[in-house]
Amino acid sequence: MISKTRLTAFAAVLLVGVVSVVVAGCGSSNDSSSTGASGGGETLTVGSDIPYPPFEQGKPGEYTGFDIELMEAIAEKIGRTAEFQDTSFETIFRDVAQGKFDAVISAATITPEREKAVAFSNPYYLSEQAVLVKEGSDIEGIEGLEGTTVGVQQGTTGQELAKEKASAAEVRPYPEGPDAVNALKAGTVEAVIIDAPVAANAVEKSGGVEIAEKVPTEEEYGIALAQGETGLLEEINQGLEEVEEDGTYAKIYKKWFKLEPPKEIFTLGEAAE
Amino acid sequence: MAEAMVRLEGVHKRFGDLEVLKGVDLHVAKGEVVCILGPSGSGKSTLLRCVNLLEPPEQGEIFLEGHDICKGPGSGTGESSWELDFVRQRVGMVFQQFNLFPHKTVLENVTLAPRQVLGKPRAEAESKAKALLERVGLGDKFQQYPERLSGGQQQRVAIARALAMEPRVMLFDEVTSALDPELVKEVLDTMRELAAEGMTMLVVTHEMGFAKEVGDQVVFMDGGVIVEQGKPADVLDHPREERTQKFLGRVLER
Amino acid sequence: MSEFFHQYFDFHIMGAHFSEVLEGFLKNLLLFAVVVVLALFWGLVLALIRQLPAGRKLIPLRGVTIAYIDVFRAIPLLIIILLISGGIPFLNFLPKDIRIPQWFGQPDPFWYGVLALTLVYGAYMAEVYRAGIEAVQGGQMEAARSLGMSHSQAMRHVIVPQAVTKIPAPMLNEMISLLKDTTLVSVVAYGESVLVGREVLAETFNSSAVMLAGLMFLVITLPAARLVDKLIARNQGKITRGAHIEVA
Repeated sequence: MISKTRLTAFAAVLLVGVVSVVVAGCGSSNDSSSTGASGGGETLTVGSDIPYPPFEQGKPGEYTGFDIELMEAIAEKIGRTAEFQDTSFETIFRDVAQGKFDAVISAATITPEREKAVAFSNPYYLSEQAVLVKEGSDIEGIEGLEGTTVGVQQGTTGQELAKEKASAAEVRPYPEGPDAVNALKAGTVEAVIIDAPVAANAVEKSGGVEIAEKVPTEEEYGIALAQGETGLLEEINQGLEEVEEDGTYAKIYKKWFKLEPPKEIFTLGEAAE
Repeated sequence: MAEAMVRLEGVHKRFGDLEVLKGVDLHVAKGEVVCILGPSGSGKSTLLRCVNLLEPPEQGEIFLEGHDICKGPGSGTGESSWELDFVRQRVGMVFQQFNLFPHKTVLENVTLAPRQVLGKPRAEAESKAKALLERVGLGDKFQQYPERLSGGQQQRVAIARALAMEPRVMLFDEVTSALDPELVKEVLDTMRELAAEGMTMLVVTHEMGFAKEVGDQVVFMDGGVIVEQGKPADVLDHPREERTQKFLGRVLER
Repeated sequence: MSEFFHQYFDFHIMGAHFSEVLEGFLKNLLLFAVVVVLALFWGLVLALIRQLPAGRKLIPLRGVTIAYIDVFRAIPLLIIILLISGGIPFLNFLPKDIRIPQWFGQPDPFWYGVLALTLVYGAYMAEVYRAGIEAVQGGQMEAARSLGMSHSQAMRHVIVPQAVTKIPAPMLNEMISLLKDTTLVSVVAYGESVLVGREVLAETFNSSAVMLAGLMFLVITLPAARLVDKLIARNQGKITRGAHIEVA
């Protein structure tokens, strides 16, 4: 005969198990994916490394940011509904190449290495890197990073730049961009090299940090797709063009960057060809 | 009247809600052998364990050589180290389960406490230990480990071990109950010799023969109180109380 | 299917990045080595305090210790690592050298990892010690005490030497867990093998380097697990009445 205590313990474990499954089940319908503006039609699963403000941020079901809104607008133009999924950055290209998502928008710079694995849309954003330091630091720019500890996000062009140009004593790769910024504020790294708009956002939103230098790397962000998806690629390029032409792009840009978008953006597609 | 070696007055002990000792008075004179009998649950082991403060009583007084070793009523956890040391260096105890230290040799078992507690130098402790072990008939077993010894032998080592601390009083808690019958005698013989040498002993036992031959006083306990006490011949052969009669009737049937 | 193998067992990638991953693995081992010594010691301290008999004046200390052990076994290790590395640098009343330690050439994530792992594994190890101590029969303590030994003398000469023999198997289990948990410190950018593996993953879009790191762990943890099984079997055999227990 099983003792009463044993029975109670077993029941408790079973209860915890059942509750967890139910909660997870209820949560997952909403958890890491959120449906964007409905353009009706098929969903377009879009992977993104969230958070990376101001490009992508927010809670599951309420994702927002420049990339998010841009993608939603493009999806509408091509008659699809964008559904976003949070994922980690270092696997994002492989994952879209494998078909885990239809597309990836994640402030991702178009690079030759990445182009070996994925196909990119026309560039949709012009970017550069910035050297972020603590307010009042006497580091003036990338030259001043010699011998210091520099934080970056794993797998980003910022990390590459740090390795190539910074002659840092240590380049520390963090899983998420904001982790690197936090480390900077804590003082465990002396500088962070990260996409300039993200740096600017950090300066404004979190305070205590400032941009020491902007490093014009002439990076262009693109939407990544699996290499065989030529049809979808064309559609997205088309959608992007339409969004740029009818002023939606400028609206979203102004909202997130408080500036007019630079004219070059609208000709990026042609330059790339 | 000479001061009793051990004197218990109004001793009460409870475990949680269960009161195990309900007011026990007992006098044990120097050199006396008191045998305590009773059914299980009567509190006899607990009584013994109060005397060396393994179980400090809640209420009542216990005097050892005239010193009150409890701090008085309500001192349940009176663990003043002075009192404990005083008590435990004067009172030795032998257990039903022997409780020898398995990781030490027989000799080491006997010398450990004198060296650590009394600070005796090794040579002195060892020669004394050897003498004691020979006295209990184990002179050839110094370097053995307890697991190699029979139950009777282990128990005799336990006795030697307790004696090494030069106690004034020895407590025996059913020390033959866990032994095979053929081994009981050797232990009882050792105890008999000890009694003959004048050791004050409190013995909880079922061995009626021993109680009759060696005991100076027999105490019968039941339900946490002393029901009857007196000379062995009186209590064992002519018990006055009904409960004693019943118990003895049952036991003697064995 | 072949894509599966390609993702995990691309030997070309494994070969190209072997020394990187190995260097990272050595960092796991270094972290492990430092923590294991500290945690074994810290765990023993905790266990001994916990064993103090109730009724002594040090009761508050014992209560605190029990609470400590419960809490640090209950909170996930990853959270502790994040709290320590995310919080300590901001404790401005501490000197910078302590807030952001760079001792012996090891960067601060290493030391945060040491602290977090020691705090947590100290608690686990304390429980192993406790189980070992409690497995020693109560009669031993009674016998020792009735011979006049104080609590600490009894612990030192009678209880702990016997407890020590019951400890190796479960303790080895904890140590294996510890080795594996050193990988969690990657979350604060300590350059150990998993972090390196993910770096390579980002570069090559392939997980083989991570698999390689896993294999390096197997080389150590598999034989260790076998050893634990053997120790346990051997001890079962030793549990005879009054067994002579060999004390190292």
